[in-house]
Amino acid sequence: MPAIPRAIRRTNPITILLAGLLSLGFLAFIFSPSSNAATTSTAKRKFDSAAAHPLSPPTAPFQKTASSAKGKRPPPPVVHYHMNNLTTTSDPVANEENVLILTPLARFYQGYWDNLLALSYPHSLIALGFITPKTREGNAATAALQAAIAQTQNGPEEKRFASITILRQDFDPPIASQDESERHKKENQKARRSAMSRARNSLLFTTIGPSTSWVLWLDSDIIESPPSLIQDLTSYDKPVIVPNCFQRYRNDKGAWDVRPYDYNSWQDSQTAADLAAKMAPDDILIEGYSDMATYRTLMAKTADVTEGRDQKQSNTAGWGWRDRIAGQSRGS
Amino acid sequence: MNRYHGGSGLNGLPTSKMGGSLSISPNRGFQTSRSRLATRQRNKLLVKLAIIGSIFALFVLVFLPSFRSAIFSVFSLGLLSSVEELQLETVRYYDLSNHGGTARGWEKEERVLLCAPLRDAESHLPMFFAHLRNFTYPHHLIDLAFLVSDSKDRTLSLLSQMLTELQNDPDPKQPYGEISILEKDFGQKVNQDVESRHGFAAQASRRKLMAQARNWLLSAALRPTHSWVYWRDVDVETAPFTILEDLMRHNKDVIVPNVWRPLPDWLGGEQPYDLNSWQESETALALADTLDEDAVIVEGYAEYATWRPHLAYLRDPYGDPDMEMEIDGVGGVSILAKARVFRSGVHFPAFSFEKHAETEGFGKMSKRMGFSVVGLPHYTVWHLYEPSVDDIRHMEEMENERKNREREEKERAERAKKIKEEFNDPGSQWEKDKSDIEGISKKEEENKAREGKEQGPNAKAGKDSAAAGPAKEEAKAPAKDKADGKQVDSKEVKGESKEAKKQKG
Repeated sequence: MPAIPRAIRRTNPITILLAGLLSLGFLAFIFSPSSNAATTSTAKRKFDSAAAHPLSPPTAPFQKTASSAKGKRPPPPVVHYHMNNLTTTSDPVANEENVLILTPLARFYQGYWDNLLALSYPHSLIALGFITPKTREGNAATAALQAAIAQTQNGPEEKRFASITILRQDFDPPIASQDESERHKKENQKARRSAMSRARNSLLFTTIGPSTSWVLWLDSDIIESPPSLIQDLTSYDKPVIVPNCFQRYRNDKGAWDVRPYDYNSWQDSQTAADLAAKMAPDDILIEGYSDMATYRTLMAKTADVTEGRDQKQSNTAGWGWRDRIAGQSRGS
Repeated sequence: MNRYHGGSGLNGLPTSKMGGSLSISPNRGFQTSRSRLATRQRNKLLVKLAIIGSIFALFVLVFLPSFRSAIFSVFSLGLLSSVEELQLETVRYYDLSNHGGTARGWEKEERVLLCAPLRDAESHLPMFFAHLRNFTYPHHLIDLAFLVSDSKDRTLSLLSQMLTELQNDPDPKQPYGEISILEKDFGQKVNQDVESRHGFAAQASRRKLMAQARNWLLSAALRPTHSWVYWRDVDVETAPFTILEDLMRHNKDVIVPNVWRPLPDWLGGEQPYDLNSWQESETALALADTLDEDAVIVEGYAEYATWRPHLAYLRDPYGDPDMEMEIDGVGGVSILAKARVFRSGVHFPAFSFEKHAETEGFGKMSKRMGFSVVGLPHYTVWHLYEPSVDDIRHMEEMENERKNREREEKERAERAKKIKEEFNDPGSQWEKDKSDIEGISKKEEENKAREGKEQGPNAKAGKDSAAAGPAKEEAKAPAKDKADGKQVDSKEVKGESKEAKKQKG
């Protein structure tokens, strides 16, 4: 027993001095301003680039506290936006181009959120926009979304998105159920599509900001995409571009397989044009229904599902909305 | 180890370096060796625990930066207090059904987005800001958005200077809500002067560029909180201060007032200005069917005779300002629309939509999507009068005429003066002559008296010179006739140019 105390007692002043210096060094490392400069300066930079007032574009965060000492917020400042400098290039990361990801949300899938978090595009350049219907299902989706957002925005700094906007629809959805079979019934299509476009327009026009370079429409049931989705699509440098959308399913033999899902990306055909000419002015053509055969070239059917594919898709005249990226869609 | 030594003294009593040894100090002499051993064992355990704990804490501090910053913020709160201030809000939640727009928006604190596209508008800004200061709608509920494009004058610097002054106004009722100045050039080729702006050939492409500018402005400035969008041109000269409330009260999806402009008296005093607010006519629909798919009908030009009822021509200065009229095309001088119209996708087509573009296309698209589009024929806003090249030439002519007339008048006055002087001179001469004559006649009388039968011919000559007075009046009359003739001429010109004006927008 007395061996250990004797060993401690035998320590000479030099060891104690060295130990003291070491601990001082540790303390200096922990509390030195240089070690904190990294974290505080990014926070400071983020803070300085944020809007000074809550009345600001929803694509950027705003400063929570009043900047004046009086505690009362001064009137909003005069803000200049240099839209001539707004670029849409094939290298958006290097040019720090802001992307707005828009999603009409009727049901919240954790897979969707995880896929979103896995995107490799810098999250500080991504703003998110959601619109949810005011139904029971919509309320549940909103609550789940808010929980996921709270977790992400309080989590690690590099995973946080620049800004998130949640909108609630100001009109009733035309069909109550969001089940796939119900949604895809042909007689429901026109009302459903028209309500969809109202929701999309509401979302787009109120969230697109003066510094938004790209808009990515990503449906809430997209649960798997390459992490480099944004970089891949923007690299083609097209005003509007859409990838193919497939669905994984269990085939007859019970094994996992893939099949085309989105039939709304197509090249027009003469049959379809003739069909359209005969229709009443307010009727719409819908793709993917056998009693309205258009014989259009569907992008979903032209996909090469074998390994090692990497091909540029041809121009499409109609666009599927699955996940479409559009550069500055306010042109006309 | 330091801690071990510091903590080794029991009860804080001073101990020598050998205090923990087996030597017995006098004040501890009563303790048994067994209890001393137990104390020492306990101490050693405590020391070990303390060492392990501090090493663990060090590891945590070194390898977990977030924990470190949390600790740091606790320690440095009093010194820096920066972290507390650096809080950002990244999540926003809006229920769009709260921002639908109602008839009494100012009571429900509904936000209005005021959009104004600008181009080389420096000279109009002071007037526009006078209007802004006078708006009765609560200023903090109005967000201002300006799009400055392709300006070559000081529009931008003057605008930001005046806006900064407005936001820093000591009167708490003056500052507005969010203020955005968007700078975006479209490379417009068309000049902004009145003649090229309103020339027929330039209309279609000019209107498409204007539509693009409006769409950029709206899409960048519209927020989920907006219930109303008000489009206002900066060159409105006179408008009621209550215009927002007045238009809002009608609770229509899209509503426009009548737009006229004042004219100089020689052009008739006033004139309809905005001919883009109209009701669709059968003639125009038939005309539209004959046109190419990309063609754009522009209203107010003789090239397209549409025979549409125009809001502008239906104005009665004494009519009920609340009277409404259903219209199909709208003019862009002053449009109040519910934000949900824009939210549902209606915009200013920069292409041919049902043969129309820009604001007229906007009206058509609103109608097509089932929104109400209404004009107020007897509620008038006055656009600034900018003389056209014809007007300027005519005004120059008038100015020359006026100068000529003045010169003539002056000349005439001078002549009259001269004549008068000449007339006065003979008068005094006459007096002189008279006295002379009188003197002479006296002499003559004397002579007569002397000679008895002689006649006075000089007296007859005196009567002739007195008749020169009326002759001057006669000379004046023809000059007056001439001036009257010119006035008649200019009245005819006035009538003609008034007709010409009606054909323009």
